[in-house]
Amino acid sequence: MIDFEEELKKYEPAIEVEQAEADIKARDLTDLTDLLFNMTAQNNTTNK
Amino acid sequence: MKCFMCGAEVGDEKVCYNCGADILLYKQIIYTSYVFYNQGLEKAKVRDISGAIDSLKSSLQYYKYNTRARNLLGLCYYRVGELVRALNEWVLSKNLQEEDNPDADRYLAEIENDPGFLSKMNSNIKKYNQAIEYCKAGSRDLAAIQLKKVVSQNPNFVKAQQLLALLYIQDGKYADTRSVLNAAKQIDNNNTTTIRYIHEVKDRLKEQNTGKKKKKNDVITFADGNDTIIMSENSFRSMLDNSRTSFMNILLGLVLGLLICFFLVVPSVKETSADSGTDTILALNEELEKAKEENAQLVAERDKIKSDLDEYANKADVTTSYDNLFSAQNSYNEGDTAAAAERIQLVTKDLLGPDGQKAYDTLYAQLGPTIVQGYYADGENFYKEENYDSAITNFQTVVDIDETYNNGAALFLLGDCYRLTGDTENAIKYFERVVELYSGNQWGKQAKTYLQADGTALEATEVED
Repeated sequence: MIDFEEELKKYEPAIEVEQAEADIKARDLTDLTDLLFNMTAQNNTTNK
Repeated sequence: MKCFMCGAEVGDEKVCYNCGADILLYKQIIYTSYVFYNQGLEKAKVRDISGAIDSLKSSLQYYKYNTRARNLLGLCYYRVGELVRALNEWVLSKNLQEEDNPDADRYLAEIENDPGFLSKMNSNIKKYNQAIEYCKAGSRDLAAIQLKKVVSQNPNFVKAQQLLALLYIQDGKYADTRSVLNAAKQIDNNNTTTIRYIHEVKDRLKEQNTGKKKKKNDVITFADGNDTIIMSENSFRSMLDNSRTSFMNILLGLVLGLLICFFLVVPSVKETSADSGTDTILALNEELEKAKEENAQLVAERDKIKSDLDEYANKADVTTSYDNLFSAQNSYNEGDTAAAAERIQLVTKDLLGPDGQKAYDTLYAQLGPTIVQGYYADGENFYKEENYDSAITNFQTVVDIDETYNNGAALFLLGDCYRLTGDTENAIKYFERVVELYSGNQWGKQAKTYLQADGTALEATEVED
């Protein structure tokens, strides 16, 4: 049985056009290749 | 292929010999990213947009430069009505790969070329956000109105449809809920929220039906006069069924009655009507025959009466004839031959007895010349007056008594009267008789001149006396 109030909490406001730029800037674009890069770089530094 | 760390060419090596970076792991990461992209593409093709979005997000978490995955993610957001998210993905895609990114270029160009569309969609998003606020504030009616507007303006906005469905579920409007959820499922057919709501509606409807069934097993109470009758629904239903059976029987009876009326009564009525017509005709014929018989009897009676009347008239005429005969005889005895001739012509010889006829013949012989002379004189007068019909009657009487009268003058004048009245046949007949009897006198000559050589026509030439 759905609890209306609980279900309603799942609905978040949609991003408006005015908020688009801020949303893009707030994005964390880090991916696995970045992590691998950082890990490799850190490893190389440690070895030196 | 170049090393992701130092940029040295590594070819198919697993490790970069320049910097020692793990090239194999890097390749596995990129490969995994494309695997997720392929999954996302497959899901998007079967309208599993939510699944596609999840796969594409995973793909981009592995490798953010997977431009195809990002462009497709933007397209998926656009499909479910989240325009700003779509725009963000395409903008990022364009920033991460400025060159050779035709899909992002095209999508952005289409949005930019229609600024009204962006404004309209933004207004729509604001209404959706406002509806969420209404919901949280407890104004479900206002929220529903707002969401209906949003859905009508942007039918692909799945989240708005889901929220509207949630409101309908809360208000118990399950038919409307199913309608909205079906529309949402048409856009994104594997959205877990949509599916969950559909199941919720099914469960609630099932509960309702179960409740109804339970109610159906309840007893039914109704008043019959002063009594209150309580009976189980099954009994009540069977009673209704009996009523239905009775009604069906009545209906069947009516139909049968109509059929009997149509096939049996109507033909007999028609037959009776036909018989009645025949009887009428026969009666009329009988009446006609009777009338004819009566008519014949009446005609016979009339003839008899007429005969009796004639006999009476004859009897009367007999007396008159005898009176006229005696009167003529007396006038003749007194020397008045003209009066005697007039009187004797009023006598009907056939009505007289043998003695009367004998006396009549004797007197008529004595008065004959006087009578003929009278007829002849009258004929001449009519002839001069050009009353030829009367003249013919008088001359015919003279000729019947004595065709040689006045040396054929009466005969000629009779023929001439016929000539003048156009009766050529009789004219020729009497002219020929004149020529035959008196060819030498003036009547004979005149008649001869009238007759043509072949004796078939007359000529109008007259001869002098």
